[in-house]
Amino acid sequence: MSIILSTTKLTKRYGKEPNIVNALNEVDLVIEQGEFVAIIGTSGSGKSTLLNMLGGLDRPDSGSVRVDNYELGKLNDEDLTVFRRQRIGFIFQNYNLVPVLNVYENIVMPIQLDGKKPDKRFIHEIVSMLGLDKKLYNMPNTLSGGQQQRVAIARALASKPAIILADEPTGNLDSRTSDEVIELLKASGRKFHQTIVMITHNPEIAVQADRRIRIEDGNICE
Amino acid sequence: MKEQNIIVKTLTIRSLRKNKGRNLAAILAIILTTMMFTTLFTLAQSMGKNMTEMYLHQSGTKAHATGKGVSDEEAEKIASHPDVASSGRSIVVGLAENLRLAGRQVEIRYGEDQYAKDGFAWPETGRMPERKDEIALDTLVAERLGIEPKLGEQVTLEWRKDTRLEEQTSDTFTLCGLWEGNLSSYASMAWVSEDFVRENCGAVGEPEDGQALGLQMIGISFADTEHIQEKADKVLADCGLTGVELTENLAYAEEVQQSIRMENLPVYVGMLLTFLAGYLIIYNVFQISVASDIQFYGKLKTLGATRKQIRKMILGQGSFLSVIGIPAGLILGYLLGIVLVPILMSKTENALVSANPVIFAGAVLFAFFTVMISCLLPARLAGRVSPMEALRYTDADAGSGKKMKRSTNGASLQGMAWANLWRNKKRTVLVVSSLTLGLALMSFFYAKNASFDVEKYLAELAAADFQIDDATNEKVGGYDPQSQTIRPELIDEIASLEGLEATGRLYSRETSQSLSGRARENLESFYDGERLEEFEADYPDFPNWKRGFDEALGGKETIHTIYGADGIILDAAVGDGYVLSGTYDPEQFATGEYALAIGPSVEPQELLPTYSVGETVIIEGREFTIMAVLSPLRPMTAGMTPSFDIPLVIPADVYTELWPDSHLRKYYFNVADEGMEEAGELLNSYQQTKAVGMSITDRKSMTLQYEAETRSSAVIGYAISVVIALVGVLNFVNSMVTAIISRKKEFAMIQSVGMTKRQLGRMLAFEGLGYAGITLAVSYILSAFIVGVVVRAIAEEGYTSTFHFTLLPLAVCTPVLIGFAVLIPYICFRNLEKQSVTERLRMS
Repeated sequence: MSIILSTTKLTKRYGKEPNIVNALNEVDLVIEQGEFVAIIGTSGSGKSTLLNMLGGLDRPDSGSVRVDNYELGKLNDEDLTVFRRQRIGFIFQNYNLVPVLNVYENIVMPIQLDGKKPDKRFIHEIVSMLGLDKKLYNMPNTLSGGQQQRVAIARALASKPAIILADEPTGNLDSRTSDEVIELLKASGRKFHQTIVMITHNPEIAVQADRRIRIEDGNICE
Repeated sequence: MKEQNIIVKTLTIRSLRKNKGRNLAAILAIILTTMMFTTLFTLAQSMGKNMTEMYLHQSGTKAHATGKGVSDEEAEKIASHPDVASSGRSIVVGLAENLRLAGRQVEIRYGEDQYAKDGFAWPETGRMPERKDEIALDTLVAERLGIEPKLGEQVTLEWRKDTRLEEQTSDTFTLCGLWEGNLSSYASMAWVSEDFVRENCGAVGEPEDGQALGLQMIGISFADTEHIQEKADKVLADCGLTGVELTENLAYAEEVQQSIRMENLPVYVGMLLTFLAGYLIIYNVFQISVASDIQFYGKLKTLGATRKQIRKMILGQGSFLSVIGIPAGLILGYLLGIVLVPILMSKTENALVSANPVIFAGAVLFAFFTVMISCLLPARLAGRVSPMEALRYTDADAGSGKKMKRSTNGASLQGMAWANLWRNKKRTVLVVSSLTLGLALMSFFYAKNASFDVEKYLAELAAADFQIDDATNEKVGGYDPQSQTIRPELIDEIASLEGLEATGRLYSRETSQSLSGRARENLESFYDGERLEEFEADYPDFPNWKRGFDEALGGKETIHTIYGADGIILDAAVGDGYVLSGTYDPEQFATGEYALAIGPSVEPQELLPTYSVGETVIIEGREFTIMAVLSPLRPMTAGMTPSFDIPLVIPADVYTELWPDSHLRKYYFNVADEGMEEAGELLNSYQQTKAVGMSITDRKSMTLQYEAETRSSAVIGYAISVVIALVGVLNFVNSMVTAIISRKKEFAMIQSVGMTKRQLGRMLAFEGLGYAGITLAVSYILSAFIVGVVVRAIAEEGYTSTFHFTLLPLAVCTPVLIGFAVLIPYICFRNLEKQSVTERLRMS
């Protein structure tokens, strides 16, 4: 198995002297292709910061992030955006659907922004796997939380990214829906050979991952 | 690429649909901007056209170049040159000297059709004269002559064959052509047939010095108006003509065109202001909408929209709104232009409204440019948002602020509001200073305009409510003391007018005598080399003046213009600042032993180029002592005077003793308001029926004229300050709105821990009042300083102004500003209230 994600001495601080918060403290992390990794830890431990760094949403104070042999720190803002939409699928706790677009438009938006034609057959495959067939033309605000999260997952999968980063994807969902979503994620990961990095609070969900990484006070303690 | 465009377009259109309120505001702003640009372009085009037209009228012809004193043969050669596109000849007979035509130069001429057309004197009804007894006139001349503007009427004109002799010739013609006269032309043409001209003058070409009869002129035009003088010179050279000169029509000269462009300056300033105002409104609208949608754009960025794509979405929204707003603005603007051109061009009667496609192209271009520039910054703001920032966008300078605040007072609404005000210091300062600048400028322009004293201004031009002048007052040949325009019956009628307050008489005639030695010395030392040079440059009639001057110095007889004055005009002539040396004593003057000398218009000083105070002068055998030297008062001295003369003033009664049958040159009277109308009617009917050449000056119409002349500069001043104040208000609106929108979550939090809606609303109102309070305090201080110091200084400089301290505009704006300060936070707050506290709290 090849290494797809790695960090070296990744450090991120917030605030100013004397109230510095070490969100991440020289974190070294290696994730292999196809792994399903759960990141766990108490709130404020630096989980979200790590995930945002891995996805290139935020920039480290020092250290580096390599994704698929790209040094993220060396890409400029614009290139980073392009890199992200081509290789990484994001799933957020609050779904982050675009309210003015319908379900289908939301799903294909990153692909279109990239100037590519959506692979319709593939999209339909995902859509039916996620059970959204009948909701394609609904606007996001007419969907339940679980449905919205499924749209977000569909969007993350639509561009066939190598990596899926999920920040508490089940945080707003009830336990039954949570189980379904995790099942879907795992199924799609297997099917499309994707690496999944997921933050969760839920120990039951964490157990289902190949590997668990615990973060406390900006340090990894596996 | 196509896919990209589709999604960008979809997002653009969907965002448009979402922001209906904003769209309406933006479209209105675009309509206004386009409308202003269209109007201004229309004005610029029309005014340029009208100005050129006016200059052409003044120079009397549209021909590109003109030549004088041309023989038939020379005219022939010039006309047939290949470069000459069109040409027309004219032969002068003389000037019509009918008394009824006094004050208007009427040239009796033969003209070829082209010459008449170029000279704005082409008969609109009828035709050019062909037979010896035919004539074509303009309506102005016909009106003055008192004939019906109808073909077939009999017209008698008096003129002199030899201008050196008194002998007049009288000829009667039949009217065969008429056209609308224009007062901005220097003279009116009276066209007669070529036969009439050839019969009256022996040779045609260049008459002797000073004579007009037989003077032949030619006007030529080229294919275009570029390099007229060079082309004209080439024509002459090609024809081998050396004795003739062709002069470029001044209206086409680069300097004149330049000054026309300068006249258009207010329009350019207006365009700049429109751009600024439009920019600020549209910018604000978009800035607010981007700020409130910043998380939306952050989300798009997180999901892979690049900076460029986001920029494109916002600029796309701007373009889309332009497509709706610009055409509407174009139509409204052109209509406004049609209304405004005649108002602003009060001087010319027939203003032309240009419908040049350039206007519309220009307005569209400028308006669209304004929209794009306005959207650029908001677009950049949206494009630059980093995904993380969008998720926690709060409204404060990054990293600034106090670390600690020692206070145990707890949180009061006012205290929180005051602290909030300074969360973004840079912006607070910007808002306060732009508002202050606008208010202070407005105070300045208002106080400056208010300090204009129409009374002082009018004193220069009109000494009384009404002034009437003899018909020959401005006659080219000089005032004729025998002329009896102002007859005793008229004076009697005026005397019986209701509400008559004061009157004044003015007689004048010329006498000749040599100057005293002192006076000659005065003249010689006053007009030193430098003054003479200046005089030469400014005064067109300098050669004649110099001749008189030299003769006076040489001890020859010099013309003395003797004025007999009393009543209002005498009082005005010796009024404040008009006595240059000596002292005026009314009782002494009334004895008839004293005279007043009139010097040049200079500062009071001892050395003046006339008799010295205390000298004696003999007038008509009677001895007068010079009591004082006066600066000339226009209402007294305006009129035709010799190039060089020594004016003296004696009491009117003494004047009529010296010359018992004298006729009034001018008469002045003041009437109470209730008698104004009656007085005006009396004068007008007298003028119409008995004295066509009599000139009437009334203070009221002068006031109106003054107001018309100063209107545009006042409007520009106010426009500038209103725009700047508008900028301030918009900045204020913008900063309040963004401050509130970006603190949505914070407010929800405060509310969740117990602040009531009412309290929150009040806190926001306090913030607004804080802005208004600071602004007003600074504005009052600054404006008081500007008005009290700067305007006072300017007013004291100007001779037509009287300083008043006023902060009226500020006082008017105070409640408006306070209203805004409360209203805007209230509206924003109402909008916030649409979302529940929990909804807002949950927002990431």
